[in-house]
Amino acid sequence: MSEPSIEVFGLRKRFGSAQALDGMTFTVRPGRVTGFVGPNGAGKSTTIRVVLGLDAPDEGRALVCGEAYARLHRPLNQVGALLDAAALQPSRSGRNHLLWLAHSQALPARRVDEVIELVGIGSAARRRAGGYSLGMRQRLGIAAAMLGDPPVLIMDEPFNGMDPEGIIWMRQLLRSLAADGRAILVSSHLMGEVQDIAHQVVVVGRGRVLADASVEELIARGSGDHVLLRAPSPAQAASALRRAGTAPTILDEERLSVSGLAAQRVVEVLSQARVPFSEVAAHRASLEDVYLQLTGGEVEFRAAGEREARV
Amino acid sequence: MSAAVSTSAARRSSTPPPSGDRWGRVLRSEWTKFRTVRGWMIGLLSALALCATFTFLVANGSHEGGCFGPPSASGPNSPGSDCYTGHPFVPTGPSGEAVADSYQFVDRPLTGNGTLTARVTSLTGLISTNPRNEAPSLANTRPGLAAWAKAGLMITPSTRQGSPYAAVMTTPGHGIRFQHDYTHDEPGQPGSVSASGPRWLRLTRFGDTVTGYDSLGGGRWTEVGSTRLAALPATVDVGLFVTSPVTYDGAPSQATAILDHVTLNGHPGVSGWGSHPIGNDPRNYYPTLGAGSYQRVGDLFRLTGSGDIAAAVALAGGDTASTCLLLGLSVALIALIVVAAMFITGEYRRGLIRTTFTATPHRRHVLAAKALVIGTITFAIGALGAAVGVPLGNHLLASNGNYVFPASTLTIGRIILGSGALVALTAVAVLALGTILRRSAGAVTAGIIVFIVPYLIGSMSGDGAGTWLFRFTPAAGFSVLGILPRSATVSYPYTFANGYYPVSPLAGLAVLCLYTAGALGVAALLVTRRDA
Amino acid sequence: MTDALRAEWTKLRTLAGTARLLAGAVALTVAVSIATVASSHQSSPGGDPTKLALIGIDLGQAVVAVLAIVALSDEYATGMIRLTLTAVPRRLVLLTAKAINLAGLTAVTGVIAVTGCLIAGRLLLPRAGLGPSHGYGLLSIAHLPTLRAAIGSVLYLVLVALLALGVAAALRETAVSIGVVLGLLYILPLLSDAVSDPLRRHLQQIAPMTAGLTIQATSNLGSLPIAPWAGIAVLAGWAASSLLIGGLLLVRRDA
Repeated sequence: MSEPSIEVFGLRKRFGSAQALDGMTFTVRPGRVTGFVGPNGAGKSTTIRVVLGLDAPDEGRALVCGEAYARLHRPLNQVGALLDAAALQPSRSGRNHLLWLAHSQALPARRVDEVIELVGIGSAARRRAGGYSLGMRQRLGIAAAMLGDPPVLIMDEPFNGMDPEGIIWMRQLLRSLAADGRAILVSSHLMGEVQDIAHQVVVVGRGRVLADASVEELIARGSGDHVLLRAPSPAQAASALRRAGTAPTILDEERLSVSGLAAQRVVEVLSQARVPFSEVAAHRASLEDVYLQLTGGEVEFRAAGEREARV
Repeated sequence: MSAAVSTSAARRSSTPPPSGDRWGRVLRSEWTKFRTVRGWMIGLLSALALCATFTFLVANGSHEGGCFGPPSASGPNSPGSDCYTGHPFVPTGPSGEAVADSYQFVDRPLTGNGTLTARVTSLTGLISTNPRNEAPSLANTRPGLAAWAKAGLMITPSTRQGSPYAAVMTTPGHGIRFQHDYTHDEPGQPGSVSASGPRWLRLTRFGDTVTGYDSLGGGRWTEVGSTRLAALPATVDVGLFVTSPVTYDGAPSQATAILDHVTLNGHPGVSGWGSHPIGNDPRNYYPTLGAGSYQRVGDLFRLTGSGDIAAAVALAGGDTASTCLLLGLSVALIALIVVAAMFITGEYRRGLIRTTFTATPHRRHVLAAKALVIGTITFAIGALGAAVGVPLGNHLLASNGNYVFPASTLTIGRIILGSGALVALTAVAVLALGTILRRSAGAVTAGIIVFIVPYLIGSMSGDGAGTWLFRFTPAAGFSVLGILPRSATVSYPYTFANGYYPVSPLAGLAVLCLYTAGALGVAALLVTRRDA
Repeated sequence: MTDALRAEWTKLRTLAGTARLLAGAVALTVAVSIATVASSHQSSPGGDPTKLALIGIDLGQAVVAVLAIVALSDEYATGMIRLTLTAVPRRLVLLTAKAINLAGLTAVTGVIAVTGCLIAGRLLLPRAGLGPSHGYGLLSIAHLPTLRAAIGSVLYLVLVALLALGVAAALRETAVSIGVVLGLLYILPLLSDAVSDPLRRHLQQIAPMTAGLTIQATSNLGSLPIAPWAGIAVLAGWAASSLLIGGLLLVRRDA
């Protein structure tokens, strides 16, 4: 078997007049959590459905562990997916829901009890799933994804409906799963969560990949190399920095912004010129800032008021 | 559709409207919900299309067998000389209704006022014993009389079939009767003719008024009935007649009467008594047993006749304007049952019901609004389907050479409105079922089993079960399609298999109404008691 | 394939509605048979006691059809079909697994229902004028035509279930599928009843219900619109085409 991965090449798909996927291409590598982010309608769900063989693309292909999904033998042993956790038949118990899935992959009933313990729904497992809370259904969905102990995991909005405790548990679970060497794709709207758990981020908009980079890279790119300087005499500081070959901007009577110089270099320049300063800080953007910068022009559904406020 | 709900919810929270307006808003939001689901609109249109298609299929597929009429006794389909094309002849009565008018008539013209008197001394008969699918033959009969065999006196302006008439007669099972124009009947002395108890009959014409009398001994006369025959000409035919109808079991019969003391006062024509067999041509719709005959021995008149003078009944499964519509409407009903069920179960399935009940906390208002919306829409579809189906079926049946029993404009109007009501009541009942069961599978299945299957079983099982089903199950609603009138003067099994619905249109709708009201009541109870 | 079979079996088994529907199918079938036999009085000769005893199948088939439809359409209604298809991506395998499970379950149900009908018929028919004192034998599967009718009725139910499953695969919506299947079963006989020969006979030969149920006839075989086994073959044709179309659409469409 080839190494655990998800490879998506040039997917295109059109629903009526809407181009849902427009050349989507990216790769999810083992041992990493890859965040999959983008505004509503950007094509995240469609991509996941194509990867799982649910929807057929008009063009392009998606491979899991080097194979098309439909060609996988006992696919849940290679890919676990958490889709819409509410999509289950309400009259069946959680345990029986996992049991039929296990049987479809020739997994023993013992494995069902293992994953029930893993996600911590043991007490509710024999009750009808229709009565589960949103968070419990989410855990049941994760149990289903973990059933085959797959090297590849696809999680669509795994934090949906989870309480803070559940979110912490989920975060740790995803990290430890990645540490085992699994390839994990997590689509989410919660940028904070993605920033915390993901190693790699794929930002999509209008069916295309806008950025595909490590979290560090993305944040660095979003931050630029701005350094924020606080000095009692900004003009003095500015002239010293200008001599060092940069063009600082005076922001107000005690702050200026410098670009093109690392923070350490700024400290050196000012110390040599004996210019007093009180604070030097490299500006660090959040993933959310980067995301908003990247998707600014790509958002399909945005209220008119929101648009004006941002412009 | 959720947009409609949320906007109305938003409006509600901002400005609380006067309470009278609340109901209108629920109604409006339910209507918006309905019309904005494309599948349901397609469902409505397919219901209409199905109605027309199946009406067409039935009408187009119904042909007179190419050979009808009493063929020779050797078998029903032998290529004998008695094979006719086209449909059998059904006379049309004075008010446009289909009538039976076959009898043996011995008559004279009478000008002006006059009186005909006669004594009936004997009435005997024969009943065919041939199987129903074989032509009746005098070779296979048993002695016996149909309860409505008739022997008596008649005045008619013409011997053309379907002419107006007035007659006084004696019958084996219903005593002496005065009848006129096929559907009017008044009783006289009870009892039947026997050798020891002859019956005296008298018929007088005075102007347009014809009056019938009876008497046991010929001395004291009692008036049985009287009528004005509109526009009676100066010269009419008066005479003696005998006829004998098909029995309750469907066997044609023949009666022979002996009359004497025949006197005609007034201005009879110069010609003497002449015999006219009326309507015993095999092309006639009404089956007869043997040709009629007339013998006169001195003062004794001996007449033999077969047939009936009464409103026509659909003896051989007669077609009516609604025959073809029945199936079309049933198929449309299935489509509408599906739409009506989904109108409510779809909300339960997707949890939309919670949004709906948040927007309109008065849940019974929601149920009522839904019922009104689905009821109105399906009423329109049903009425439209009937308005298309009736003329379509009529036209195709006629052009295929079938006889279609006539129906008045009023009856057609009633069928169109009745079809709408039938469909609407069914749809509302299914909506209620859907509210009770909250699952489309249950609602649709129950709807089809309750509304379609009784019709299926009823139409296949014939007499007992069929009558029961069309009387007490929701299938009673199909009675709105009934056209053929029942006649009290015809002894005939008015079963569904024979083209008759066992209850009247309004009674049938009332039965259906009870079911719908019951279902709606349970739904209203549950919808407030249960958590959404 | 065996995995998919086992999974579908677990799914059917653990759905609360399945047992209820199957019990309902048996109860309805036997009850209708009992009611019909008990209320009929055969006076003229030429009755068919076996067919009369099995009349409940006419109604029981509706429940079987609903079970088959819901087994697939409910997955679409809840969205669980996507999970099912990620577990069993080969969609024809999935449909086959469902079909085999339904067929097996329906066959067992059918055997119970038919046995119930035959026992009821054996006990009640003599009172309805269809017993040994009227020249009819007691119902017994030792009588070959009766055995054929009994086995055929079970087969009939199985084929109706498969026909319904195919329709559900093609239409996906529960309510619409039930409307179409029950319409197909019940309306075509009514249509054939309403038209005249030769169209009537042709319709009876091709309509799934009238053709399939000729398998129940044990007397007057000459007057049947189509021979018993040929009739069941017609129904099998319907079931096969429905599964074929349903399978084709299942494979071609996005889930």
